[in-house]
Amino acid sequence: MERLNDEGQWIVLMGFMVCVGIFFLAIVITQSTVVGQTTSEAVLEFPKTEIQDLRSELISLGKRWDTKCDPPSEEISNKDEIRDDIVKLALYRKNAVVYFDINENSGIGDAFNDYTRIILHYNNGVTEYDETFLLSRPN
Amino acid sequence: MVNDQAQMYTLEGFAAGVLMLITAYLVLGTTTVYTPGDVHIADMQLEQLGSDALAMMDTPNTEPDIYGNEESALKTFIEDDKGDDFRDFFLNNITRKTGSTSTVVNDIQFNASVYYRKLTPAANESEIGSYHFSSSTDDTRSSLVSREPAVRVTRFVTIDGSPLNHPEPEVDSRTQVVLLEVLLWRG
Repeated sequence: MERLNDEGQWIVLMGFMVCVGIFFLAIVITQSTVVGQTTSEAVLEFPKTEIQDLRSELISLGKRWDTKCDPPSEEISNKDEIRDDIVKLALYRKNAVVYFDINENSGIGDAFNDYTRIILHYNNGVTEYDETFLLSRPN
Repeated sequence: MVNDQAQMYTLEGFAAGVLMLITAYLVLGTTTVYTPGDVHIADMQLEQLGSDALAMMDTPNTEPDIYGNEESALKTFIEDDKGDDFRDFFLNNITRKTGSTSTVVNDIQFNASVYYRKLTPAANESEIGSYHFSSSTDDTRSSLVSREPAVRVTRFVTIDGSPLNHPEPEVDSRTQVVLLEVLLWRG
C-alpha cells in the first residue's frame, strides 16, 4: 500500500480485526476439550454411590438408636463397636476415612418434630465431603 | 542508508508472521483426548444400576409408625445366608425393564462377598474377614472370566448376629455392620 493507492484502508483494518476475532474463537475451541475432560472426570471421580450408601446406613442406625420415639425402638448397646465396624470397613475396603456422629439430643426442634443431628465426614484422598442432616422424630 | 519505502509491506509481513506463529501455537497446544469407546460411561451406568438395586433391596417394604423394625430383604438374605435368593432377587432387579420382567439377553455377571470386622482377631490375622456370599452362576469361582472391566458396588448392612452358616468364631455373634461387596461385569 505504500506508494500504492491509499484507498480502502478500512477494508484492510476490518480484515485484520476479523482475523483477531477468529483467533479468539480458536482459543475457545482449544480450551473446550480440556474443560469437558476435567469436568467429566470430576463427575466420575465423585463417590456418589458410596456416600449415599453411608448416609442411608446412618439414617437407619439413627432410627434404631432412637430412644425417645413412641413406641420405643430397640436400643443397641454396642454403638462404639458399630461405629468401628463402619470406620474400619470403609478404611480397609474403600480406602476412605469416615467419621460420623449421631446425636439425638441435638436440641433442635420445632412445633411438630425433634431432630436427631447426624454429621458425616468422608475423605477418600480425592474427594473430601462433609454433610450434616437432621432426622425428624415426632415430639 | 536504508530505503524508507514500502514500510507498510514490512508491517504487513510482520503481522502475518505473528498470526502464523499464533496459529502454530494453538494447533500444537490443542489437547487430544483419547477415549477408547467411552468405556467409563458404561462402567458408570453399571455401577449406578448395581448400587440402586442394592439400595432397593436394603429398604424395608413398610415403615410402620415412621419407626419400626421391619427388616430389609438384604438383611434377611445375609443373616440366613441365602445366596441363591439374593442371586434371583438381584438379577431380577438389574435386568428389569419397563412393563416386563423378561429380558432378551442377560449378560450381567456378579460375584458377591461379605466383609466383616472381628472384635478379637486371632494372632497374625486381619481384623477384617470375608466370605463368599453369592455369584451369578452356581459354580462359585469358575465363572469369574470377564471381557469387560468389572465395577464394584458396596452396601453397608446391619445384621443382628452371625450369618447362618458362618457362626462364631468366624463372624461375631453381635449386632454389627457388615459390608456387602458386589463385583459386576458384562460378560
